[in-house]
Amino acid sequence: MTGKPDRVDAVIIGAGASGAAAAKVLTERGLRVVALEKGPWRTKESFGGDELANVNRYNLWPDPILNPRTSRTSPEVAAEVDPFCPVPQMVGGGTVHWQGWLPRFTPNDFRLRTVAGDLAGTTLADWPITYEELEPYYDAVEWAFGVSGQAGANHFEGPRRRGYPCPPMPQSRYAEKFHDGCAKLGWNSFPTPQAALSQPFNGRPATVVSAFAQQHGDPTGTRSSALNVFIPDAVATGRYELRPESYVRELVLDDRGRIKAAVYEDAAGVMFEQEADVFLLACGAVETARLMLMSTSARFPGGLANGNDLVGRNVTFHEYSASVATFDDPIYAWAGGGYVSASSFQFYEHDASRGFVSGGHIAAAGVGIPLPINWGLPGKPTWGVEAKQVDRDYFNHSMAVAMVLHDMPQHDNRVDLDDTVVDAWGLPVARITLIPHENDLAQGRFLVDRCGEILEAAGGKDVTKVYAEKVTGNCSHQHGTARMGDDPDTSVTDRHCRTHEVDNLFIVDGSPFPTATGANPTLTIMANAWRVAEFIVTSKGNR
Amino acid sequence: MNIHATFFDNHQRATVEAAMARIIPSDDTPGAREARTVDFVDRYLSGIDYIYALPDGSGFEQLEGRRAAAWQQRVDLARSKYVAGIAELDRLCLEQHRAQFVHLDEHEQDEMLRRIERAGTPEAERAWRDTPAIAYGGPVEPALQQTNAEADMDFFNLLVTHTRQGFLADPIYGGNRDQLGWQVIGFPGPASLAEVHAGRYNTLDFFADNRVHRGQEDNHDRQA
Repeated sequence: MTGKPDRVDAVIIGAGASGAAAAKVLTERGLRVVALEKGPWRTKESFGGDELANVNRYNLWPDPILNPRTSRTSPEVAAEVDPFCPVPQMVGGGTVHWQGWLPRFTPNDFRLRTVAGDLAGTTLADWPITYEELEPYYDAVEWAFGVSGQAGANHFEGPRRRGYPCPPMPQSRYAEKFHDGCAKLGWNSFPTPQAALSQPFNGRPATVVSAFAQQHGDPTGTRSSALNVFIPDAVATGRYELRPESYVRELVLDDRGRIKAAVYEDAAGVMFEQEADVFLLACGAVETARLMLMSTSARFPGGLANGNDLVGRNVTFHEYSASVATFDDPIYAWAGGGYVSASSFQFYEHDASRGFVSGGHIAAAGVGIPLPINWGLPGKPTWGVEAKQVDRDYFNHSMAVAMVLHDMPQHDNRVDLDDTVVDAWGLPVARITLIPHENDLAQGRFLVDRCGEILEAAGGKDVTKVYAEKVTGNCSHQHGTARMGDDPDTSVTDRHCRTHEVDNLFIVDGSPFPTATGANPTLTIMANAWRVAEFIVTSKGNR
Repeated sequence: MNIHATFFDNHQRATVEAAMARIIPSDDTPGAREARTVDFVDRYLSGIDYIYALPDGSGFEQLEGRRAAAWQQRVDLARSKYVAGIAELDRLCLEQHRAQFVHLDEHEQDEMLRRIERAGTPEAERAWRDTPAIAYGGPVEPALQQTNAEADMDFFNLLVTHTRQGFLADPIYGGNRDQLGWQVIGFPGPASLAEVHAGRYNTLDFFADNRVHRGQEDNHDRQA
């Protein structure tokens, strides 16, 4: 038996960063929206300062026994089960456990192909939209969230219509070291814009600065997230019905080739068909591609809106790596979760003289989450007397300067469906096939070297550089699997993130991003989702 | 903490306790033995009643459905690795020293632990050799942070991982007794999970003396 709930204006699949942002905009503009979220709807009361549960025991991460993925480094080898690039699967998605670094992309990010030219082996592309087109939505998200930051402090940032709603977060000791190092080197640095409230804002109290932050949920509800901001806004309209633990298995077409319904299974295993005028995919770039590839039909035998075989291709993940050093004076890099930070875009923009394309965001960070349960350094012993001494030396006296790698899109780096491994619901899991480009490795080495120079300039000792020798998906950032573009032959969606082949299907997560850029993507994902939702509302009468 | 549920028999428990005492030794500060990391792992292996502390510290979550099944599978796997690993460790000790692990001196125990440290699967050995950065007994990844893949670990790496977890995780899980682990590394952590849950735990005292970022002393921009 299949249930058929009432038809609504829009179905959003996923209630994370992008799905919640779109839900807020659509419902506030009068649309009736059903959200189908695979995971639970957890409240702040269910979160706590428990590294073992949150990091080691999959309290927030997807349990790999239930939600496995596979990965491989070549189409010729068998893929192995690997929790590649996991993101919390629950209402709020990645914003539940993030630290919330929210830099904007720069104007050149939207035209990197024009700036840098061709790069052999890659599918480097300009975006079909510009920074100027997205700027109003950056502003909208920053002011909805109450982002704490300093306009103009990042000398590489594009024009902005106004400042940040809240001043920067207080300066941590690791941020202070970072600023010191950059100043000695003559490099620009700035307080990392953050999804937290440095002071009360919009009826919400200032953020509690705990040590349990990045990779932990927020028991106080004072950090800014999709869960704490967009979801309540959407619920308040009375037009948002959020159905957690509703796992969409397939999107089905009508006779005209438009999406008719989302077929989903609830927690009790009952199947439903939810009909709507428009459908928005907001599952994250890996799961969105997976759902499209699982939705096969006579019209789309290779997956929904995938006539050109581009769904899942050109996937990018960033990579997080760092240099680490010790200091004589205490750094307390666990305070604030290690990420109430300072940043630099000094090596973000493309510079042909470096011998590789583009660059990335560099910032100070802690070395535990917050404790040294899940953290180690190359070359250091893992047990015994010396290991214990390392823990004592490092815990209060070390910090990292880390970088976000701008990995290049490649046609053969892709997400598809594994042919043997299924999840706990019996559905094929996402398989990642990925080989880093030489540009990724060269850029990673360059950036990690610069990270080390900042530490040395700040007085750090025993600088250890950890180069990103491969892409492991350790950032939880994911993009590119349904790239947007004006040419239907080389892209999956148009500039409005509507698929070229199915006109009532929109993709609002990172999937449409033609390039990864070198910055944390979620602000831009939410701004873009806001933009697409506005387009859906304003174009509704025209379809 | 009163530990109700246990898994090990007396010999297994003594062996694990002795091995953990070499992984985080007692020196001028307490080690795994004083922090009772053996209680931590014994409780973990007891079943699925102590997987997730309630975030206010008032008890433990009762798992149901698919989550319960996944955890039962994970605990069963860990149990089998401990049972087999302890037996293999003793076999090697008897072969080398004609005595079980618990009866060896510390130097001999270290030597035998080093022997099993590299004796994993060929894949694990290759990964160990080829990978420049390795988490403490954790997943073999070049990354500085990554989710933990306990299912992929052999007995020795599991033992190291559980020792670290038992030393540094919240005391509610049976280890880190009296927050000894936190005291050793210098973490002035929250008094309890309830302090974090209620929002009373705040770390601003450990921020810079100057709370205003360099170059921003001229106040927040006025453009707003």
